[in-house]
Amino acid sequence: MLFNSWSFIAFFIVVLILHFALAHKWRIYLLLVASYFFYMSWKWEFGFLMLIVSLINFYAGHKINVGKQRRWWLALGLSTSLLPLLYYKYGNFLLDTFSQVSSAVGIEASFPELKVILPVGISFFTFQAMSYSIDIYRKKINAEPSPVKFLTFVAFFPQLVAGPIERSNHIIPQFDKVKRFQLDEFLAGMRLFIWGLFKKVVIADRLALYVDRIYDNPEIYSSATLTVATLFFAFQIYCDFSGYSDMAIGTARILGFRLMQNFNLPYLANSISDFWKRWHISLSTWFGDYLYIPMGGNRVPYLRWVFNIFVVFLVSGFWHGANWTFIVWGGLHAIYYIFENWGDQFLKWSNKLYLKKSHLYHIFKIITVFLAVCLAWIFFRASSLEEAVFISSKIIFFESGQLSMGPSAVTFVLSIALIMFLVVVQLLQYYKIASLYFTKSRVPAVLQFSGYLLLLLSIGLFGMSSNAFIYFQF
Amino acid sequence: MGWIRDTKYDRYRRKGVVVLASFIISFVVLDTLVGAVFQNGLERYYGLNDNAPLALLGHSHLMLGIDKVMLEQELGVKVAKYTSEGVNVADRKMMADYLLQKDKALKTLIYGVDAWMFTGEGLSENSHVLFYPFMDDDAVGEFIKEKASPSEFWSKKLIKSTRYNEGLIASAMRGYLQKWDNLKWGKINVEKLRLDIAQGNYRAIKNEADNIKILRETIKMLKKEDVKIILLYIPTIDLVNEIQNKEFLESIGIFRELEAEYDNVEFLNLLEPFSHQHELFFDPIHLNPQGQKLVTEDLIKVLKAKRDGEK
Repeated sequence: MLFNSWSFIAFFIVVLILHFALAHKWRIYLLLVASYFFYMSWKWEFGFLMLIVSLINFYAGHKINVGKQRRWWLALGLSTSLLPLLYYKYGNFLLDTFSQVSSAVGIEASFPELKVILPVGISFFTFQAMSYSIDIYRKKINAEPSPVKFLTFVAFFPQLVAGPIERSNHIIPQFDKVKRFQLDEFLAGMRLFIWGLFKKVVIADRLALYVDRIYDNPEIYSSATLTVATLFFAFQIYCDFSGYSDMAIGTARILGFRLMQNFNLPYLANSISDFWKRWHISLSTWFGDYLYIPMGGNRVPYLRWVFNIFVVFLVSGFWHGANWTFIVWGGLHAIYYIFENWGDQFLKWSNKLYLKKSHLYHIFKIITVFLAVCLAWIFFRASSLEEAVFISSKIIFFESGQLSMGPSAVTFVLSIALIMFLVVVQLLQYYKIASLYFTKSRVPAVLQFSGYLLLLLSIGLFGMSSNAFIYFQF
Repeated sequence: MGWIRDTKYDRYRRKGVVVLASFIISFVVLDTLVGAVFQNGLERYYGLNDNAPLALLGHSHLMLGIDKVMLEQELGVKVAKYTSEGVNVADRKMMADYLLQKDKALKTLIYGVDAWMFTGEGLSENSHVLFYPFMDDDAVGEFIKEKASPSEFWSKKLIKSTRYNEGLIASAMRGYLQKWDNLKWGKINVEKLRLDIAQGNYRAIKNEADNIKILRETIKMLKKEDVKIILLYIPTIDLVNEIQNKEFLESIGIFRELEAEYDNVEFLNLLEPFSHQHELFFDPIHLNPQGQKLVTEDLIKVLKAKRDGEK
């Protein structure tokens, strides 16, 4: 059940009415049933997988809380949670890599391909459940006594399949809070949902038409075409994923829940570290809290810090998919991070830190960070390392050639217009004129009213019906 | 002081309800308006409201094959050109029905035919999306209902702006701008075509009885309204015509049979002398602007001769 489907709208209307019609004590059961229904409507079998992962962490959490053999229970909880992820998502990749390594050392080992379907959002709910056990181990939280609340936290339908990856101490207390229907919450949630839907069905899905065509056969297109396709992909993946997050946060808000912000104008970041504070914030903070900081963060010798950075980004890349392209994508970001640090060190050494305050330097950094991120996106989007290297070298060593308009010139022109519109809106949000998430807008109410009216109309007119969100596969 | 807070809350809530209600009403009004503007534009583009005595009906083969403006100028009559990319025989029957309803002055319908028109495979399976703008018409609505899912049907029925895609919006705009040209520049790569044929990459001809039956039904429907039909064969390149010569000739035979069977039908075969002139083609079945001009001139000659003969 996709957010951009009529079935979801019908489902959500029913849940919304029941949620506020029921007495508070019954609402948690409604949310649990609705969340499992939402997930199992895609493939019912995988509902049991999510239930098992949740129960393992719930039980492990209690055992850790009791205080005996805490470390063992944590290890058991985490390893059993990761097993389904390893099997479904990384099984074939690991077997294939093992075969290749074996044959490289002269041992022939071939394995049949595992015929598995990747459960939607497995990386999201697994990480969400794992964070609970780790937080109890660290004594940041106490174990949740109610299994219903914990199961609902892991399965909470607005953010179940593509995040934001929430923490139990943020969501579970909200289940206890008595809520009544608030019109302003409803309107705020609706506004964000409409904006997210617009980004998804009008911008992302339209850009996908061009990007898919070019990336399916990159060898027949010119450097200019590949450059445009890569730039389009940068906006496609942003609109696709942030659009989903917006719809998730908006949906939760309508029900009276607050989810964490997942994007904060990432393409206006002025450094790679800034980019990662603005892109997929819930995952970045997850890796920060559960991987980077435990390894020592930046309070370690320099070479160890470099090692930590590489580990975090490579794991982040691997989290996104079982392919070397994702690992290289993560590695590229690690290299950017280190290079950026060297640049800062150089400015400090040459007493030119004042440059950082210059407006021009700021713009220069925004542009270079964006271009570097786009270069890395090639590896994220390409189907193989060879293809990614081919595309990136064709773009870097630019050769003149005809620019392809893709499936239609009208779509191409409209795509560019939509990107420009998005950039303008983001600049307004950057300068705090337009509302970003739930911040106060300085745009006159009449203009806001007309703006959302036109957004909704544009969704009707220009909305495309895609069957997938890019981040569902992670 | 609780009552003060309640009053404030009530006022606030009332304002919220008013804003929400105004938003919904404004959306409905705007949606209806946009739907009406685009529908009118589309009808202008297709010439459905022109009360044209002569109309062209078919898919992209006919769309790129005939210049409507040239026809109008040379014949001195209004011409409706109701053509859409990828429409199959069933779609065309529905289009003919809609045309009959809209164009009360219709006397002659030029119906684009080709050897592949009775082949189910290869044409758009979702071509019904082209008719969403006209779904308020009962016949069109029923036609769409059969092909679309219930959620798709009802969402389009209720929200008019969702009935359009970029192609339809562009056509509606062209209707207002009175831009009737349908041109594809360039020439077919004959060597590549030969290679494709050698590798078996071509659309096979399958004369399916169901599709032939639908064409017969279309002819009967038009006959009932006293409309003459010209089954017009716009040239397709000889290289593809010759791949399945037997089936190709069988298709031509069907058109001749229909001509003999119905007194309101005439088969006009413009294959020659054009099918061997490869420079006139954009691709195996579509003419380029040069080809379009020559074929339109030929058609005009035939139509003028007919008119003179009738006089």
